[in-house]
Order: sequence, then C-alpha cells, then structure tokens
Amino acid sequence: MIAYTDKVRQIARRLLEESRVEMVIGFRKGSQPMMNEPCFIRKAEDADKLVWDGNCGINLANYLTGRNEKIAVFAKGCDSRNIVTHIIENKVQRDKLVIVGVPCTGMIDKRLVASRTEGEIESVGENADKVVVKLSDGGSLEYDRREVLQGNCALCVHRNPVIYDELVADLVEEQTDVDRWADVREIEEMDTEQRRRFFEDLLAPCIRCYACRNACPLCYCPTCFVDESKPQWLGKGQDQIDIQTFHFLRAFHCAGRCTDCGACQRACPVGINMRLLTKKLEKDCFEMYRWEAGMTLDQRPALDTYKPDDPQGFIK
Amino acid sequence: MTDWEPKIVSFLCNWCSYGAADLAGVSRMEYPPNIRVVRIPCTGRMSPKFALAALREGADAVWVSG
Amino acid sequence: MEYMGVEPDRLHFSWISSAESTKFVEVVSEITEKVKALGPNTHYVKKEAKVA
Repeated sequence: MIAYTDKVRQIARRLLEESRVEMVIGFRKGSQPMMNEPCFIRKAEDADKLVWDGNCGINLANYLTGRNEKIAVFAKGCDSRNIVTHIIENKVQRDKLVIVGVPCTGMIDKRLVASRTEGEIESVGENADKVVVKLSDGGSLEYDRREVLQGNCALCVHRNPVIYDELVADLVEEQTDVDRWADVREIEEMDTEQRRRFFEDLLAPCIRCYACRNACPLCYCPTCFVDESKPQWLGKGQDQIDIQTFHFLRAFHCAGRCTDCGACQRACPVGINMRLLTKKLEKDCFEMYRWEAGMTLDQRPALDTYKPDDPQGFIK
Repeated sequence: MTDWEPKIVSFLCNWCSYGAADLAGVSRMEYPPNIRVVRIPCTGRMSPKFALAALREGADAVWVSG
Repeated sequence: MEYMGVEPDRLHFSWISSAESTKFVEVVSEITEKVKALGPNTHYVKKEAKVA
C-alpha cells in the first residue's frame, strides 16, 4: 500500500493542473507516527505533501459536505460507500466530485501497535506485509500487517471502492472467509442484565468529547441532538445514563447508513469500541432487509422504503 | 412497593390508536389507568429519542402504537 | 434497545385501527400486566435532579 503515494501525488497534480478540480482531499503525514491527517490541496505544486499508507484510517467522506467547489477525493472502500450514502442523501452532487478509488488492504490500529510495543515509537513504516516500528532508542520491531489491522479492517468485505472515476492501483482481492459479526453474536447471547452491565462497562470511560460524532461522515446534522437545549434530550454531564443515551442515539442515527469504517473508534481518545452498537444495527439491516449501506446509487436505503413483506414480528 | 403502579408512556398515532382510545372512552370501556398518552401526528413521528427520553425521565415502559 | 440491555417488555409496539376500541382495551391491559410483572424501571432513570 505504501507504493500508492507516488501514484496519489501524480493523480492529484494532474487533476489540479488540468483544472478538473479546485481542490484535492487526501492525507499528509501527521506530526506523530501513525497519525496521518486530512489534507486539502489547492495548488498542483503542493501535491507532493500527499502520502498514502496504512495510517489513513480517517474517513474522507466526512469533508465533502457543505462545499461548493469541485473536489477530488481519495476514497478507500468504506469512504466510497459513505460517498454513495452522501449522494443518496443529497449532501453532495456526483458531478461535483472526482472520486479516486484506493483499493485498500486495511488500516493499522495505532493503539494495538502502541500497546504491543515497549518504548517510545519514533516512526512506523511498512513494506508489503510487515509493519516496521522504529524506536527512539534505535531498536526496531516488525509486526505481521494482518495482526495489527483495525478491528473493522480485519473483518472488511468491501475493500475496493464501489464508485470511482479512476483508480490508484488494481483492485485487491476481497476477503471472503471472515466472520463479520462474531462479537455482536456474543453480546446477543447474553441475557438482558448481562447486556446492560456490558454496555455500562463499555461506555463508562467515555468523556463526552464527541470525537466519534465529529469523525463520523454520517453525523452532518447542523445541530446535533446532544447540543439541543429546547428540548434538552440529555444532560451535558458525566452521568452514566446521559452517556449511554448519547451512544445509543448516535448509533440509532447511523442505522442502515453505517459502513463500519471505524472512524468513530479510531477517533476515540479513550478507546471505546462503540462499533459494537452500530454493528448490531448493520447486522440487523443485513439479516432483515439484505441491505448494506452505500453499495449502489440505484437503490433506496432499507429504512426509507416499505415492502409488504418487511419483518414485523415485533408489532402486536 | 405494594402500591407501586407502573407508568406507561404511550405514543399513539392521531389517526389510529388515538382514535381507538377516544372510541374506548366514548364507549365507556374500562381499561387500566397506567397509561399516559402522548398524541403524535403519525407513528412516523416516533423517534428512538422519545423512547429513551421517557425511560430516562422515569417511565416504566414505553408503548408505541399506530 | 433490547440489545442494549433494556428489558424487552419495557418497549411495546402495536397496530390498532381507530375502530378497534376493544383491541385497544385488550392491548392496554396486556401491556400493563406485563410491566407490572417486570417491576419498576430502575436502571435507566436519571437519578440526580434535572438541570435544565
């Protein structure tokens, strides 16, 4: 994946030189290892700032809404599905976008690498299937790339972009032998009381910074329900009930739209796996309506269509 | 504990269940007094927010009826 | 909601036509019985005084 960088720069430069777009959204190196940051390029000569490696986990679809200029965006499988969702929800117009597809082999979980590594990490590089960590004391370590992927990437079955104008590289092979919902099933098998405790523990460290909401490409409401004061849906403090209400409602808002891009979990400063909530809704949508978000522009989402044979066992 | 009675917040659709509730009243039918009715213009107005807010504010159950 | 640990009987859905007052009475009674059996809602109530 590291080899994409040259191609990414080349494409960005060409698009800007030919004035096909006014701005390119990609990634540049962050100030810390494994923290690439989104980068907005307007001039062709700045294209060399762009990079692409296994630390581009932020979802760039998040930066497309509310803009007027013509934009080129680099999109992994999950980003492209979120772009489709944006187009369906009329948040962006297809003809104002140049989507450069990036076939993805998964992003590195920075927390996993950091927790496995003793000592201060100076830089993290990659080659074909190894992640190479250089320590500040001069030592270096190697991890198998597959072992340090983000949880959602390890289980991803849509690595290739679903919509694109051009591609950075050839499409990659999709994973087929993964069990996407093992963790959700585990929770489903608990009884009500266990589940309540489980989520209480899961969400207890939350500091209500709303980084998960801000990182999420689906969360584009002008005023989020947590910020509303008339009516005030939930308190602003650290009350456990308020924290849980926030996470539950956030998950509900993503029902049938979430592509499990993992941006929320990646952004969380205390490492809460809130994907356990959104994944349940994803699983339900898939099992009840055979629906996966953002796969096509031609179909209305499961939750805004009605079919006479929709499951309705829960209604008396 | 013995004299505890549940409070059930009921979200009733104006055109369906609210009508049914009205008819039940007009027909002088008897039903448990534990429900607190919120009339909504349509069940489509229902949101998970309402259900969670009701439980958070102390409701013992939530009933949505179209 | 069930997945999150809310008891299944705390949330009910039904479909009643405006002419079905008998069904309305039936459903109200049934739900009330179920919630009575379940006992009061303790876990999801916010305990401190509300700050508006």
